[in-house]
Amino acid sequence: MLFRLDSFALVGITAVKVSVEVHISRGLPEFVIVGLPGKAVNESRQRVRSAVINSGFDFPVKKIIVNLSPADIKKDGSFYDLPIALSILSASGQVSCNFSEESCFVGELSLDGSINPVSGLVSMAERAKNNKKKFFFVPYQIARQVSFISDLKIVACSNLSEAVEALSDRGKVDSFIYRGKNSPINRNTYDFDFKDVKGQLRAKRAMEIAVAGRHNIMLIGPPGSGKTMLARRAVTIMPDLNMQECIDVTRIYSLYKKDVNELIQERPFRNPHHTISRIGLIGGGINPGPGEISLAHRGILFLDEFSQFPRTFIEDLRQPLENKEIIITRNRFSYKFPCNFMLIVATNPCYCGYFGSNSKKCVCSLREVKKFWKKMSGPIMDRIDMRVTIDRLPESSFINGSDGECSDRIKKRIIDCTEIQKRRFKDRKLSYNSEIGINIINGWLKNDENIKSLIYSVSKKFSLTARATVSILKVSRTIADLEASDSINENHIMEALNYRVNFSNGLGDYISGL
Amino acid sequence: MKISNISRKILYLMIENGLRPSEFIRVYNKNNGDVYKTLQYFLKYKNLKLKFGTNKSDNIFDSLKYDSYEKVINFIFKNKIGLLEISSDSYPAFLKQIHLPPPLLFFKGKKIINGGFMIAIVGSRRCTRYGSEVAEYISKSLSRIGITIVSGMATGIDSHAHKAALEGEGGSVGVLGCGIDIIYPPENELLFKEILKNGSIITEFIPGTPPLKSNFPVRNRIISGLSGGVVVIEAGEKSGAMITCETALSQNREVMAVPGNIFNQTSKGCHKLIKEGAKLVDSIDDIMEEFSQYKEKALALEKETVKINNEASECKVNLTGDERRIYEFIGYKSKSVEEIVGYSGLEVRDVLKIIASLEIRKLIREDSFNKYIRLF
Repeated sequence: MLFRLDSFALVGITAVKVSVEVHISRGLPEFVIVGLPGKAVNESRQRVRSAVINSGFDFPVKKIIVNLSPADIKKDGSFYDLPIALSILSASGQVSCNFSEESCFVGELSLDGSINPVSGLVSMAERAKNNKKKFFFVPYQIARQVSFISDLKIVACSNLSEAVEALSDRGKVDSFIYRGKNSPINRNTYDFDFKDVKGQLRAKRAMEIAVAGRHNIMLIGPPGSGKTMLARRAVTIMPDLNMQECIDVTRIYSLYKKDVNELIQERPFRNPHHTISRIGLIGGGINPGPGEISLAHRGILFLDEFSQFPRTFIEDLRQPLENKEIIITRNRFSYKFPCNFMLIVATNPCYCGYFGSNSKKCVCSLREVKKFWKKMSGPIMDRIDMRVTIDRLPESSFINGSDGECSDRIKKRIIDCTEIQKRRFKDRKLSYNSEIGINIINGWLKNDENIKSLIYSVSKKFSLTARATVSILKVSRTIADLEASDSINENHIMEALNYRVNFSNGLGDYISGL
Repeated sequence: MKISNISRKILYLMIENGLRPSEFIRVYNKNNGDVYKTLQYFLKYKNLKLKFGTNKSDNIFDSLKYDSYEKVINFIFKNKIGLLEISSDSYPAFLKQIHLPPPLLFFKGKKIINGGFMIAIVGSRRCTRYGSEVAEYISKSLSRIGITIVSGMATGIDSHAHKAALEGEGGSVGVLGCGIDIIYPPENELLFKEILKNGSIITEFIPGTPPLKSNFPVRNRIISGLSGGVVVIEAGEKSGAMITCETALSQNREVMAVPGNIFNQTSKGCHKLIKEGAKLVDSIDDIMEEFSQYKEKALALEKETVKINNEASECKVNLTGDERRIYEFIGYKSKSVEEIVGYSGLEVRDVLKIIASLEIRKLIREDSFNKYIRLF
């Protein structure tokens, strides 16, 4: 007896259709899975057998061949349990199945027959929709994750018996269709706010500008000055995710962990520790999965203690920062993961942490300071438009100090600014000021002799490199946008100068690419 | 570069026979400065190494990379290193006067043989911004009126003094505590190259001598010996700079000290010197008073300084209302951005804009992170 059900295989962030074919024939009892199964798929035989028996069905004592076609794609994951079990039951005639052509199935079986969550559900659901499937059988626990997809009926089953029942009759399946909808996008769910940050006016203003133009930013300051606090609050002033962005984020997270039970609506904030492996940061592995840079998609990647990250890892960030996606190639396949994130890095100014700080005396020699910065210099620093120094506040000010501006108000300004940028770039493949190239900037400056001469004199005075000048102009553009000003004027450039480290505090000598 | 016979012989004696400079000078003085007699005296014992009691360990020239005369002289020719022996006319006159002058000097760069007047600037290797600014200011001003700045090529004050001195006609002389082939500290490699354009590097140590701890006090006597006076900036109580002052005093040189912040340990040594009678320096005039021959030039320089100050005050005239208010508020005690915003009542972005424009005009600078201080 032959029977066929459809399921999926994950290739990077996308899913491809896989047919689960079962042939039960006479012969010595045997249960084989072919079609490049991975370890988890092979072990599925044991789970399926027990689940079938414990759900009150008979497991055929015959020769059972399971083929996962196309047979040349490597398959891994535990989600073939459900389609294999259902195929065996159908092939052995224990279940009648009328609409299997219109359906597809994923789910991991427990030995008692219950269906456990699987990863990558969003990618699979999208593929199912594209393949014009009508029903998608998923584990009940995580059905909400894909409930946003229209034109596809999500059949949520909590165990094998339910799946069999749903499959047996077109009339019965309706009672299993998942109707819980995602809660409407709820805003302001963060329990921290920009107003918690006392003082640090320059840094806060810098964060606002950085988020508004998606400029990557470096926070430099002694321990305890509030670098992490500021970075963590950056997500609270980012515009809310729209539906498509929510789906993008959820898709990645559903690959990363199994317990995502709803559409993710918060901007991701990823804060990997510096002992992270290269694969953990960039993505990859035997079955390539998303790294931290992809998990930070549409959100923020915060690298605390930036100086502690191995230099090669930092260099690895260059290309993803530029392309907004990472392509991981492993022998025959390329796996593409999106990684459109904003980078915030925080670092101490030197080994002891107190260079340039008022709070304590730095005990590093100038040579050590140089060595410290040498590691971070170079191409990655080009891609960080803004550097801001932060010092510890005097003790009195964080107890008595008045609240700063709250996140909501800053967010409002940023939303306006984002709109302006969107309008400006609507004919181009850009969305933020940080992505513009020198040719566009030159276009703006063409008619403005004043600004040109100002830029020229400023860059000469502080011997700024070309790329520093470009960064300053990009940041000036964002500042102008925040004021809804059409052109960059002198004030904007003057303010932007504040966000390059800085002419006279001494640190500038050590950071190359100033 | 031509190397005189006398230099060769002294070098030979030092390397092959382990002749100590002090021994040479003793005999040299005994012979009333007749270098030929001195050489004859030593060359008699050419083959008797033991005569000089050169237990290698108490020889300052031990641990040599170039362990034979041949190797050293080859090296000298190859790298165009000059030699100055004590009886030579080009040998710095000031240095000749001191107790135990080095019988032989290795040098690169012609400045040293031109015999200009020199002043030493010495100080902490771990200097503050204040120290480096003072060093640069004094060094530049002196160099511009033709005085050569001597220092020890170390990091900190020394490097700042050297660098600034190269801008003027006076130039700079660096005195090393190691062989002339060794760049120490290594980060000063660029300074080594720069200094040869308008100055010299000299040492009494044979090529290959590593920068031993014990070499530096020895070389300090040359720093003070070369110069008419020593200006001390940011010296700790026990520092190389203080040793230079001691040698300066014993050589009858003027010692001048720049005061620093009393809450900061970095200038303790300077304050101690001032208490003991060193001249307090708070302007170039204080130095010039001691050396009357440079007075006229100094006056010309003063005019120039006035001009610079005028420029600064011109900048001040052009300030707008808010700029002036903030500039005056900042004052000489540093103020944080938060304080400035609080005082001015302006938006953060406007304050930042004003700060940057004041900074560009060099009216203020960032003292520590986010704290600004007035420059004029």
